[in-house]
Amino acid sequence: MTTSPVPSVRARHGSEAERVIDVRELHKAYGQTRAVDGITFAIDRGEVFGLLGPNGAGKTTTVEILEGLRSPDAGAATVLGIDVARHPDALKERIGVSLQTAALYPKLTVTEILDLFRSFYRQSRPTAELVELLDLGEKRSTRTQELSGGQRQRLAVALSLVNDPELVFLDEPTTGMDPAARRSLWDIVRGLKGEGRSVLLTTHYMEEAEVLCDRIAIMDHGRILETGTVDELVSRRFRERAIQFDIVAGLDEAQLAAMPGVTSVKAEDHQVLLYTNDVPATIGALLDATESIGAEAENLAVRRATLEDVFLDLTGRALRD
Amino acid sequence: MHALLVLTLANIRSFLRDRAALFWTIAFPLIFIFLFGSIFSGGGSEPRDLGWVDEDGSARAATVREAFDATEDVVLTTGTRDDVLAKMREGDVDAVVVVPSGFGAAVDTATAGQGGPPARIEVYTDPSQSQQTGATFQLVGAVLGQLNLQMTGRGPAIVPQPQTIQTQDLTFISYLVPSILGMALMQLGVFSAIPLVADREKLILKRLNATPLRRWQLVGSNVVMRLLIAIVQTGIIVAAGAVFFDVQMSGNLLALAALVVLGSMSFIALGYVIASFAKTEEAANGMTSVVQFPLMFLSGTFFPIAAMPDVLKSVALVLPLTYLSDALRQVMVDGTPFAPLWVCFAVLIGFLVVCFGIAARFFRWQ
Repeated sequence: MTTSPVPSVRARHGSEAERVIDVRELHKAYGQTRAVDGITFAIDRGEVFGLLGPNGAGKTTTVEILEGLRSPDAGAATVLGIDVARHPDALKERIGVSLQTAALYPKLTVTEILDLFRSFYRQSRPTAELVELLDLGEKRSTRTQELSGGQRQRLAVALSLVNDPELVFLDEPTTGMDPAARRSLWDIVRGLKGEGRSVLLTTHYMEEAEVLCDRIAIMDHGRILETGTVDELVSRRFRERAIQFDIVAGLDEAQLAAMPGVTSVKAEDHQVLLYTNDVPATIGALLDATESIGAEAENLAVRRATLEDVFLDLTGRALRD
Repeated sequence: MHALLVLTLANIRSFLRDRAALFWTIAFPLIFIFLFGSIFSGGGSEPRDLGWVDEDGSARAATVREAFDATEDVVLTTGTRDDVLAKMREGDVDAVVVVPSGFGAAVDTATAGQGGPPARIEVYTDPSQSQQTGATFQLVGAVLGQLNLQMTGRGPAIVPQPQTIQTQDLTFISYLVPSILGMALMQLGVFSAIPLVADREKLILKRLNATPLRRWQLVGSNVVMRLLIAIVQTGIIVAAGAVFFDVQMSGNLLALAALVVLGSMSFIALGYVIASFAKTEEAANGMTSVVQFPLMFLSGTFFPIAAMPDVLKSVALVLPLTYLSDALRQVMVDGTPFAPLWVCFAVLIGFLVVCFGIAARFFRWQ
């Protein structure tokens, strides 16, 4: 996939970071449910920022407030220097939006719908360029109702780029895609960053956040639990490595926690996670313990801690649930 | 303005690619016109099928037969009295003319010097078909009158001069054509609820809301598209009435245009009211049916409100389509007013304002 440089995107501001999004103490409730419960974060120009969290964490509500689609109950949100609650119309001219569900007129073709959306904005990119960028050339005359899920999602991203936006919101852009389609969309997001655009994306795929995002905010139950780069998030919490293996009947948590080097023990699904400062000592003790009860630690693996571990540590739940 | 234009074009494309929508707006009203038109406007100038029984066999009888044969639009079926009467019972012939035996001799006597009683011809007709009976006697009378003149060699002393006066002001078909137009405009408006709810359900309205497109542009493009379709519908329905059923537009084109626009907008507003309360496309489908069928059948679309029982008459009185169709009949074919034209306009404007108010209050974009 090729991405052509776009002249209208402003040069990045070098070391002097300019904020494209600034959110302070944002609240939004639906009845009794506090969907967004006092969140604060900021995104610099040129950054790909990820909101990572399970379904229902409040990511979409946050994004929709920043897109000018919902008004917050309390707090301040400034996007591209515009107060989103006061001037949503001015904002909409300058941002690109891809909703969680690709919403397309079913009976229009790819180029017809691109041309339609272009007419809504003062400035726009040529349809042919967008078709090329999102690799929709073969489908340009196909009605959107006949597109596959991945193609619809690509078209939704193309629609978010028609106005040549400085800031693009991608809400769960790869949901429902197969791995190949997902990787090609990742290339597109990297291309956006290469063009100097800023991106706010939400995802519940840890790998996606790790691969794409300069910085990540981990969200759960309407709150941001932690913000930082992947490395920061992981190393802040885990200097340790993780040893994982299938749960062994007869080995209880206290026994595992007492092994040399172990700092914490987590059970996740059918697996045990041992976080340790001393991998050889811990593995030695583990093998001794299993041997003494005539069992075996199956699917044993040692790895660095990942975002998944961070999320599990923060919430006590696995992200993929 | 540009966005409004492009969005209107996109709406028209979507509409033209939706076969169900095309059927309801174009084919459905035409089917009604052709169906009811051909059922109720029959019996005009088709040939009359007459049974012919000659029990006399004289030259005089042959002369009478020639006279009938020479008459335009008459088809004779010859046979014995029993055969031909059986055919009439089966509906193959409309009436039967019998020349009884002794007819020739009776004519000779009647036309001789001092004259005598007139010779008789028997004519069988069906009293349950009073219109046909009248036409048959008119026909037979005309043929025999001509023969009488020839045989007696005298000119007529008195002839009737045919004049007509219509007691019902409209033929059924000229009543029907404006009614069907009213019905079509109503459906066009009410059905606007369905794509609207579908667009909301598919989050298309939400996606549009994330662009700088204004809501008035969105609503405006919908209304403009439907008005364009309304104009096309009006053209097709008026043309079908004129070409196939000879229903001529007698009224003011400007008044017709005003009614078409006002009527369409009123019912589009009703469509938005439905879309305000229908959460899903299925619900919108159901609600449009619930709304459109009473409007269609109780607003005097197919028969005059004056002919309705009192209960239904009072229902018709509160249905807005009653006033649109009535006004269309007044403007298009000079129909007898059910309500004065200004009342019709006032009712439609009031209805538009009320629907607009309800939709503005309750319509949700997402």
